Amino acid sequence: MSAGDLGAAALRAALFLSLWGTGAAIYAAWRRDARALSSARVAAGIGFGLVVIAAFSMMFALATHDFSILYVAENNARETPTFYSIISLWAALEGSILLWTAILAGATAFIAFRGTVAIPRLATTALAVMFAMLTFFLLLITTPAADPFARLAVAPDNGSGPNALLQNHPLMALHPPLLYLGYVLTSVPFAYAIASLILGEGGDRWLVATRRFALISWALLGVGIVAGAWWSYAVLGWGGYWAWDPVENAAIMPWLTSTAYLHSVMVEEKRSLLRTWNLALVVATFALTILGTFLTRSGVVNSVHSFSLSAIGPLLLGYLVAILVLSVGLLLWRSARLRDAGPIGAPLSREAIFLFQNVLFMAATLTVLLGTLYPLVAEAISGAQLSIGGPYFDRVEIPVALALLFLMGVGPQLPWHGASRATLERQFTAPIVAAAIGAVAALVTGTTALAAVLTYALGAFVIATVVQEFARGVRARRTLHGEGGLAAFSNLFRRNGRRYGGYVVHLGIVLVALAVATSQARTVDAERTLAPGDSLEIAGYTVRLDALRPVSEPQRDSIVADLAITGNGASAQLRPALVQYPNSTAAVGSPGIGAGLRDDVYTILAAYDQRTFSWATIRTRVIPGVSWLWLGGAVVGIGAIIAALPPPRRRVVRMPVAEVAVSAK
Amino acid sequence: MVAALGAAVVIGTLAATNLAPNTVYYLTPTEARERGVTAGRTVRLGGLVKTGSLSFQPISFHGPNNFEFVITDGTVDVRVLGQGAIPGLLREGAGAVVEGSFAADGTFTATQVIAKHDEVYTAPKAGATPAHRTAP
Repeated sequence: MSAGDLGAAALRAALFLSLWGTGAAIYAAWRRDARALSSARVAAGIGFGLVVIAAFSMMFALATHDFSILYVAENNARETPTFYSIISLWAALEGSILLWTAILAGATAFIAFRGTVAIPRLATTALAVMFAMLTFFLLLITTPAADPFARLAVAPDNGSGPNALLQNHPLMALHPPLLYLGYVLTSVPFAYAIASLILGEGGDRWLVATRRFALISWALLGVGIVAGAWWSYAVLGWGGYWAWDPVENAAIMPWLTSTAYLHSVMVEEKRSLLRTWNLALVVATFALTILGTFLTRSGVVNSVHSFSLSAIGPLLLGYLVAILVLSVGLLLWRSARLRDAGPIGAPLSREAIFLFQNVLFMAATLTVLLGTLYPLVAEAISGAQLSIGGPYFDRVEIPVALALLFLMGVGPQLPWHGASRATLERQFTAPIVAAAIGAVAALVTGTTALAAVLTYALGAFVIATVVQEFARGVRARRTLHGEGGLAAFSNLFRRNGRRYGGYVVHLGIVLVALAVATSQARTVDAERTLAPGDSLEIAGYTVRLDALRPVSEPQRDSIVADLAITGNGASAQLRPALVQYPNSTAAVGSPGIGAGLRDDVYTILAAYDQRTFSWATIRTRVIPGVSWLWLGGAVVGIGAIIAALPPPRRRVVRMPVAEVAVSAK
Repeated sequence: MVAALGAAVVIGTLAATNLAPNTVYYLTPTEARERGVTAGRTVRLGGLVKTGSLSFQPISFHGPNNFEFVITDGTVDVRVLGQGAIPGLLREGAGAVVEGSFAADGTFTATQVIAKHDEVYTAPKAGATPAHRTAP
């Protein structure tokens, strides 16, 4: 039995188990039947194992170049290095859906074994929802629409190899799985929210049960988006990291609604407000991940990400419509039970800022959605083909982002219920001074665009509020618990990780904002044709072309330009190249990047003399501050980990076993 | 609440007023002529690079290079002028999309040249879609 047969059989068995599990979980939740629940658990556990076996079978088939499988023949070649062979699991449609299904099966198993212990009825209902979704995806990959193990009648001698852009950089190993994890894990809060609506529980138990899942999926989505920006920067050779491409938009929209949710959820926990709203945000986040998959995978919009047209589009669209109809119907049906505990209070209270912040996040989501779907709608109505240019998004989203940056500083400084004048003075004096210093710092370093200066000022404002919070927290622990400075600092994270981890996330976001503002405001370009030995000057750097030479590897042929970069106290050897893969009609550019905390020097071999190698056209961009963007993404990830870690258990005084036995009588 | 509603209205207005000016139409050369696209308005033209039309100025070692080619849909030809290194993907007889604007004399100044690099080449429809960015 080949790996392909094993994988195909495993998926079919998993589909059967998933159908069984759906029925068993529904019965278990309805009749509170323990035997049905344990049966559903077994189905979830074995089902997960089977889908993992299928995913590894595909990796094995790719690594061993089994071209009798269509997917392998289309996305692999004998010359493909093993690393890129294995990660080709997510290089195209069928494999990506297989990875998606594996993650979903894992989340289902997790709820089956862990979730149902804590709150049995709610989690069992959620488990039924998870099983239903898993069944849909297993149906997708066991029908011709997206069957990863579809066979070729005659196996070719060699496959065509992965898309040139997808085998040119190791970040391909990171960006898609992170994004998929983030996407798929949003289904957990969604399943609990739906379960809560079905059972008619007005309480907040669903939200407490899934808080950590919501945070983790949000963090994975965010870090996955930054990794995608980095991949685009390092591979596509245009020196940018974000283009308002429809698929980038599709990834950012659920992140926006999910960010809104992580904040408004605190209002529900503290004040029992915004109940319906939070449910709606969870539904919206999940629906937007499916919309994103639909846009990416169906070929309705074209972008660097789109795979070929496939029959999966209508199925995903049907799934999306079904989810929306079900969710909206349930929300309307149960809305009477979701009364809030009262109105939002004073305008200068933390809950009011959260509400305001939510409005801004929704506005950002809706305007991005408008710009993304408008071309589709326009083509459907008038037949005209058009696109919405980047400036639309810049003009609308930059003011929203600046307002959000401002609120990020204000919110944590305001108490719940409302603030007095004295509180305001105490909380905001230092941050306002910091904002002024930030604005001056921007102007002194040559960042003069208005939006960029505002970003520096607001960034400094937020940093000052965070520093102030940490300083106060440390001081309080030192006086209350008599701890040393360092111990107090680390205990802030251990005892109140959610709050202080959140502040670390805020710092990461500031870093990202500063990186975007700096790189957008101060990037410099130069393009020159050089003979070997010649050099060009740009922003204090000298770029010298040392040599131009062909390089041959088994899977590709390249023309490499050896560049020496000196200046501003730095020096580097860069090797931008034009790379020709056998399955590609034309060469793809591979930029040479000299990364630094101050500037990135980004070089592209744009053209060269193909006969004598006597000249090369080198495009050079000096991009200040862009590496803070990747750093900021990492800081966001670290902050999220701190916030997600469970606080240490309170020490429990254990009773001796004998006494327990006696007292139980 | 009032402030929140106010912000929503401001952002809505911002979106509505910025949508139309930033709409970039994909047109074939024929459609561009029929519609009489105003000079200076950003559009995308999709078509084939006419065989024999692609030319560079002699390589200059002192500044950016100029290039020109003719993009055609078989009926109408448009002369495209641009500056910089053109993407390696661009070749005569193959599909291309150029973004830019018409000058008063009917030539097209390209700010961005997007070559199609489909493995299996099919002639672009009116305004075939960009597959590869060359510039921000």
